[in-house]
Amino acid sequence: MRKFAEDFAAQSRVVGALLIREIYTRFGREGLGFAWIVGEPLIFAIPVLLTWSVVRGSSEHGVPMMSFLWTGYLPLLMFRHVGGRMLMFVRVNAGLLYHRQVTIFDIFLARCLLEVVSSLTAVLVSGVLFYSLGMMDLPRDLPMFYLGYLYMIWWCAVIGLIIGAFSERTDWAEKIWQPYSYLYIFFGGVFFMAAWLPESLRGWALLQPSVQAYELIRAGMFGSAVRTYGDLGYETTALAVLTLIGLLLMRDARKYVIAE
Amino acid sequence: MIRAVQITKEYRTEGRVHRALSGVSFSVAKGEKLAVLGRNGAGKSTLIRLLGGVELPTGGFIEQTMSSSWPLGLTGGFQGSLTGNDNMRFIARIYNKPFDEIKAYVEDFAELGKYLSEPVKIYSLGMRARFAFALSLAIDFDCYLIDEIIAAGDQRFQRRSHEELFEKRADRSLILASHMGDFIKAYCSRAIVLHHGRGNLFDDIDLALQVYNDL
Repeated sequence: MRKFAEDFAAQSRVVGALLIREIYTRFGREGLGFAWIVGEPLIFAIPVLLTWSVVRGSSEHGVPMMSFLWTGYLPLLMFRHVGGRMLMFVRVNAGLLYHRQVTIFDIFLARCLLEVVSSLTAVLVSGVLFYSLGMMDLPRDLPMFYLGYLYMIWWCAVIGLIIGAFSERTDWAEKIWQPYSYLYIFFGGVFFMAAWLPESLRGWALLQPSVQAYELIRAGMFGSAVRTYGDLGYETTALAVLTLIGLLLMRDARKYVIAE
Repeated sequence: MIRAVQITKEYRTEGRVHRALSGVSFSVAKGEKLAVLGRNGAGKSTLIRLLGGVELPTGGFIEQTMSSSWPLGLTGGFQGSLTGNDNMRFIARIYNKPFDEIKAYVEDFAELGKYLSEPVKIYSLGMRARFAFALSLAIDFDCYLIDEIIAAGDQRFQRRSHEELFEKRADRSLILASHMGDFIKAYCSRAIVLHHGRGNLFDDIDLALQVYNDL
């Protein structure tokens, strides 16, 4: 138990140090540096959401448009940022592996954590902004909303884990990621709810952990005003299996690392 | 003690397998100084990287009961876009050492002055060598893995490295890849000569250097 506590403290220290280093190298040390962590996703989110809500009217299938887009687009940003940042994440950081206590899993954790925190802050800031401008209501069922986001974070982290580990082994990972992360906008659940799909497609769509997480988030956002199809048992099992696959791939990826 | 048992390292390039090391075994006891000799491309740096845990061997294993530095060479170990100070902060954090002590030691030993607040990528090779070496001495290891780095420094740096490493820390181990015959003769008691991926151990440094020169 004591050994575990020591290991945990050591690993937190390494991940913390990597996190600070990541912030310095990506955003610089001066001026706006740190604010960019939040600013970057907001620059994507706000114009896109405003334009769409104007173009597409005030509601869709009876749900308020702005709330719907907000629950769809911000998790999409998280997905694309976490996944994109993990492409060849070991190769570009190989210099760090000169230090024995830094494992590739620590590098993964630090990068993933930074992207997730940055995305969640953008969710918070844009949410408060749209709410205070009267463009959006607060989530009706907050615990459900949080739970949905928890699963969404898990899903994004798992994709990062798999794409990151896979990209160290073969260049195909990048070739697959580009179309997948684009097509995901259409089939990943970003802009539809399971209830809007014909029954023949719904079952297929719900096989995706992302669609499941979106259902949970929207159940939290709209409460009983909409019918949702989230299945916690399936979602947990699916993500647990994918996590296991990701961890196995990650353990294997270390063998492929060639330092400078 | 560091013990390498039958280590093999293969790299896959353009579909072909290149075997850099093939069944290399040796051990280094506490306080012992081992030279690694071999022509360019013989696998010296590969061996040092494997010992430092930067890369994993394809076959065989490495056992360690003493702490060893990261490979001190002309590349690796630092983030070029960060300043010397930020690199020091990062390393102090991961090795769990107080930053102020590390900084004081590095400032004194490396004599980089205001360059410590400049990005490491603008450092000359000699400055990089001084910085890496100072930092690893400040962290304090049982065994130092050195890949040709001392040669990059100037006379004064070489003299001071000598004091720090061979006088004040005479009880530490050293694994040193180098082409400098005189230097190796002065400090190392044993040598391993790498050729075509194989390693031959010599307890007689003169003999080792002679074999190396005849390669």
